[in-house]
Amino acid sequence: MKDSKLDDFIICKKCHTLHRKIKLHHGTKALCQQCNTLLYRYHQNFIDRLLALSLVEFIALAISFTFTIIKININGIYRGLDFSSIFYTIFHNQYYIVGVILLFLIFIFPTVILLSLILALILMKFNSSKYLVKRLLILIAKLSHWSMIDIFLLSILVAMVKLFNYAQLDFDVAFIALILVILIDIFTLKRVSFYDIWEEYENIYRKSDNKK
Amino acid sequence: MRIYTESQIIKNNLIRCPICEATNIDTGGKVVCRRCNERIHDYKSISFHKTVAFLITAMILYIPANLYPILLTKKFGVVHENTILGGIMHLWEAGSYPIALIILFASVFVPILKFIFIIYLLISTKYNLKSSKVDRHKLFYITEVIGSWSMVDVFVVAILSVLIHFSLIEIIPGRGATAFALMVFFTILSAQSFDIRLIKDGY
Repeated sequence: MKDSKLDDFIICKKCHTLHRKIKLHHGTKALCQQCNTLLYRYHQNFIDRLLALSLVEFIALAISFTFTIIKININGIYRGLDFSSIFYTIFHNQYYIVGVILLFLIFIFPTVILLSLILALILMKFNSSKYLVKRLLILIAKLSHWSMIDIFLLSILVAMVKLFNYAQLDFDVAFIALILVILIDIFTLKRVSFYDIWEEYENIYRKSDNKK
Repeated sequence: MRIYTESQIIKNNLIRCPICEATNIDTGGKVVCRRCNERIHDYKSISFHKTVAFLITAMILYIPANLYPILLTKKFGVVHENTILGGIMHLWEAGSYPIALIILFASVFVPILKFIFIIYLLISTKYNLKSSKVDRHKLFYITEVIGSWSMVDVFVVAILSVLIHFSLIEIIPGRGATAFALMVFFTILSAQSFDIRLIKDGY
């Protein structure tokens, strides 16, 4: 029995219950028998669909980083909120540690994760650069705990409720883009587990290794 | 290529790689994943001490995060200081109950819950408490998931400091914001450095 025999097993990420994998039919998914967490799913055109969603998410993320998120109007004086103004204000007030933490959590990490995913999926689609794909997938896994763009959106909503009685608030294009980013994130997280991407990686490069 | 018998696989302790989620055999000590070649865990004692060190740092930072103001309001030249709890009470008195509850949960309860969960996990592994391993795994999963939600308050302060920046009234972050952001950073590190094998095998 070979090392790959271990591939027949999967451990639930939530409760760590060991399961033996079974072959799934189209449109079905395997759930943990202990806690009902998604283990893996049968996907068709998996890479193409995930790549399309990731590209849309990247465009939305670029829009949210570029344009104004919300505008407030207090007695005719307008002020807008965008990503650059957040970092400028924090650094201007000499809160360098908070500034650096925010810069990484809401700008650098989400961008790096998404770009890495897009690049990895494109390379997987063209069946090339196995090592680079592996490094990119490892990078995504390591950074995923540190991307907090969803929490940032919640914070905007909290801030808006705080200001609601004192100022007139107008949503701008970046706010819609930010909601789109989160919706795609939730959709992909619900549909795709990271395990599926790694399985696809193994399938693609195993086939090409066998051909050689 | 390594060869295992079926019974060896079942009998051996199997662990999940947190990076690629592949199933691996726990050989004890340092384990390297067979698929992604990343180090799954350090030696158990190193992980244990790392978790304790990060947790203590986070708990120390939690004190200035709550004692120092997280937000300063400059109104007509007069500075008002708001701590986390002060801000929650202000919101509650103003009738913004849902927001007060969100901030109370994210900024006060989540860090305390994380401290309690990690301390419980460390004690239960050190003294081999007879609680369910499945429950402890779930507790660790919850600790990982809720960790980042504490950043809500820091983000809100950053957003308000951009939006309320006028000549007569201005909001600026306080010293508590730095301590709070660092506290969240160290609690996440503490959870990440915890070796899940400790739940299974003990210290």
